[in-house]
Amino acid sequence: MKIKLIVWRQNSPTDKGRFETYNCDEVSPDMSFLEMLDILNEKLILQGQEPIAFDHDCREGICGACSCTINGVPHGPEKATTTCQLHMRKFKDGDSIYVEPFRAKAFPVIRDLIVDRGAYDRIIAAGGFVSVNTGGAQDANALPISKHYADLAMDAAACIGCGACAAACPNGAAMLFTAAKISQLAFLPQGQPERKKRAIAMIKQMEEEGFGACTNYYECEAACPKEISVRFIAKMNREYMMARMFSE
Amino acid sequence: MVLFNYLKSTILSKVVMAVTGVLLVLFLFGHMLGNLQVFIGSEAYNSYSQFLQSLGEILWLIRIVLFIALVLHIITSIRLKLLNRCANPTRYEVKNYVKATLTARTMIWTGIMIFCFLAFHLAQFTLRITDDESKNMKDMNDKNYSMFLKDPRGSVEINKDKYFYAEGIKIMKERHDTYKMVVKGFRNPLISLLYVVAMVILVFHLNHAIQSAFQTLGLNHPNYWPCIQRSSFWVSLLIGIGFCLVPLSIMLGFVGAGV
Repeated sequence: MKIKLIVWRQNSPTDKGRFETYNCDEVSPDMSFLEMLDILNEKLILQGQEPIAFDHDCREGICGACSCTINGVPHGPEKATTTCQLHMRKFKDGDSIYVEPFRAKAFPVIRDLIVDRGAYDRIIAAGGFVSVNTGGAQDANALPISKHYADLAMDAAACIGCGACAAACPNGAAMLFTAAKISQLAFLPQGQPERKKRAIAMIKQMEEEGFGACTNYYECEAACPKEISVRFIAKMNREYMMARMFSE
Repeated sequence: MVLFNYLKSTILSKVVMAVTGVLLVLFLFGHMLGNLQVFIGSEAYNSYSQFLQSLGEILWLIRIVLFIALVLHIITSIRLKLLNRCANPTRYEVKNYVKATLTARTMIWTGIMIFCFLAFHLAQFTLRITDDESKNMKDMNDKNYSMFLKDPRGSVEINKDKYFYAEGIKIMKERHDTYKMVVKGFRNPLISLLYVVAMVILVFHLNHAIQSAFQTLGLNHPNYWPCIQRSSFWVSLLIGIGFCLVPLSIMLGFVGAGV
């Protein structure tokens, strides 16, 4: 396969950045998108040029490290798939592909395709955890949770925090991420003691990070590699309204 | 001001957008049903118009509530738009939308166009300042008057000048001829065209708005969500068609041929 890559290059956070075009002539349809970038980088290194900087880690779609907006869609055109699991067979021979970093004010570019997603960590640090001392491990059946709620909590917990939701959102909003992280604990008994405090603190942090507001475009749901539903945003809105109205 | 503290929270801002939006949609639905009485005839239409005018304080209460809803809706939308622009300052070179519909992406623009239309609409039919003639269109409440004379239910007291009293209720003998004003107004093809175009824009706005209000208020459950999404389209289309029927049937001569 022959692929023309138009890649965003930016030397530092303060650099203005520009697009550069690379022609990849021997792309195998079985390569993943990141493997194609690896091979391009090796070629660039041999030519004495700077390789393209991009984030990656597990390369099996579970860590949330890889990013990249490919042809205007975070993680590329394939539904429910991270960039590392996207294969070149999804493209056609002779395609031109635009590769850009995740864009949002709260995700500043560090270099090329790498952005700082620390804002998500700070939202978690604001309350996305259970801080009640649990003592020794208790009996597995001492805390009954119905299958229904266990499933819902797991659906929300599928979020890998990759940042695609905020990158896909025309408003740069991180509602889907924050909603998933608030919901996963709100469904479970362990999350109850800090439920209201958590909703208010995490949403406050989300706003302070400079993320936008939700206008229900549902682009986040479409881009999410883990198919988190916008239902959780509706749940977060309920959680927030209840917390604001009834917290002691 | 304490009243505007909600603007600091993105979610509360959205809730205000949804609640004020729901109020405005309910008003639109009632307004549309009222308008459709033009098909019953001039008597029914003018009586309805007179009934609204006779509400007095209640009419003003409705007007004030709608005005506050509209002002909050506009202020909040502008503030959210500015915030969202700020949160996503660098645009993608290539952007492919997957789920964001055209109607969702043009909400602020359709909203501004509807506001401009609303200003014209109020000037034309409520303040009646676009056309000198429309101010002085009087309809003699003759049919009701003679009906009451023929069949005086309760005590009928006749005041020769302006009113008659039936069952102690004061009824204007002379009232504004809303029917004539509307028919003459819509006989102008440009005015009719403007109204139809404005209603198409309104359908665009409501198509995204109605389901969006449910989502924002947290009313999204798999049992009824598909129904809400479909209804959002059909309800907005119904409102749009209901409003368009009036200018279209006047232009085609189905209504108001005798005026």
